[in-house]
Amino acid sequence: MTDIAIVGVGATPQGKLPGSTSLSLAVDAFIDALADSGLAKDDIDGLLTFPGTTAPEQGLNYLRLGEELGMNPLLTGSLSMGGASAGSLVQMAAAAIQAGLATTVACVFGDAARTGGSRFGRASGWGDSWGIWGMFGAAANSALVASRHMALYGTTGEQLAEVAVACRYHASLNPAAVMRTPITVADHQASRWIVEPLRLLDCCLISDGGVCVIVTSMDRARDLRQPPVRIAGMGQAHTNQTLGSKDWLAVPHQRTAVHDAYRTAGVGPGDIDVAQLYDNFTISVLLWLEHAGFCAPGEGGSFVEGGRIRLGGELPVNTAGGNLSESYMEGWLHIVEGVRQIRGQAGVRQVPDAEVCLVTGRGMSLNCANAMILTGA
Amino acid sequence: MSEISRPVPVVTEENRPFWEGLAEGRLLLQRCSGCGHPRYPIALVCPRCLSKEHGWEAMSGRGTVFSSVVFHQVYHPAFADRVPYNVAMVELDEGPLIMTNVVGTDQVTVGMPVQVIFTAIEGAVIHQFVPRDPE
Repeated sequence: MTDIAIVGVGATPQGKLPGSTSLSLAVDAFIDALADSGLAKDDIDGLLTFPGTTAPEQGLNYLRLGEELGMNPLLTGSLSMGGASAGSLVQMAAAAIQAGLATTVACVFGDAARTGGSRFGRASGWGDSWGIWGMFGAAANSALVASRHMALYGTTGEQLAEVAVACRYHASLNPAAVMRTPITVADHQASRWIVEPLRLLDCCLISDGGVCVIVTSMDRARDLRQPPVRIAGMGQAHTNQTLGSKDWLAVPHQRTAVHDAYRTAGVGPGDIDVAQLYDNFTISVLLWLEHAGFCAPGEGGSFVEGGRIRLGGELPVNTAGGNLSESYMEGWLHIVEGVRQIRGQAGVRQVPDAEVCLVTGRGMSLNCANAMILTGA
Repeated sequence: MSEISRPVPVVTEENRPFWEGLAEGRLLLQRCSGCGHPRYPIALVCPRCLSKEHGWEAMSGRGTVFSSVVFHQVYHPAFADRVPYNVAMVELDEGPLIMTNVVGTDQVTVGMPVQVIFTAIEGAVIHQFVPRDPE
């Protein structure tokens, strides 16, 4: 178990925010998280950022934001791991604090992905572009995962729909969510194909927004405004390969990441009260459920049937709506919702007696995975 | 009406044998001279043993569908009149996985045996696959 806590979370409005920029959204999220924590700007001695898709300075994003905020941090840097950036940066902050490199670290993300001209449909592949064969965009990678999962295990489109329906139901209870009108399995099945076997309602949103997460030691956390949320366990694992690995579509590194988090926290799947599982596409949730040990490999589809991952079900998942329906903040809001559930601040979405939350992140389509166990003090 | 051209190979010293092979009707991949590992994607060193020594070897062109999807969304204007179209990962009998298209059928299934064909596109010859009878 670590002695590191999340003490502040902040988020901007989400969705379509014309005139916003990566920088303006990151600044607003930082100010919001500071206010949540009760810390002063000068208490922050670490600044870690994810440049997202619209920061013109890209890898130098930490310099741009740090200048804007007037910061001279002990620890700083940027990491580009897509949807794995949030979890990886928070884990880097925790490790750096444990090592004495900084005391209090702000992890920040802002992206005008919806209105700022992001292109998510580019061709993948190093060297020879897969676009030569018409392979473009992120949905296709997850569609390849889904196609193979369906062939090996009999997973169905209706089972994928259960994930979309649950996330939308949770978003309907979240005033900050972008997509709040409930949907049914039939709505999902009637939505158009994007890359078959994935339909429109299998896909995450594209959103403008910013999020900030502030991390410090448990000792400092006890004196601050909010009930501390302990990062009880953490883990991450990656494959840097694509076609070079036969396991690419099965993402077994997710299992390693979650089980390292379980091990360091001293918990197992039976201890998890609520889970925030990275959902770029519905199929991803099924694989997380399998890899996290909530069900056997191949049984993710049947696991999600019957409302099991909805609030009130056996394992509520993505209780704020997730990337699919709350907002596509590349997993940053999964951490925020995990913190709110453990603090008991989730309002009508609160899972009763939520003491242990699993939060996962995954980025660069399938390659980068991480997991954290959040608990009370 | 002007055509918007589809992505074409960018031929480099590193990948030249691959693209020249396709133009001659052969699917050539690198095989490590150090450990014998056949590899794809094309790489400077063997991902298994890091040897830089390799030869270009003709694959049998036989494989099976590892996974398969159908594009309905148009991500690139050159594919606007091609949707819906197949993109598949094929596992070659020799081991490597490649990204390609399975054509000549709209019933592509995981595990289906396939055989390479060589298809001329504007400015290049690419590999695609068609169903074959299992041996």
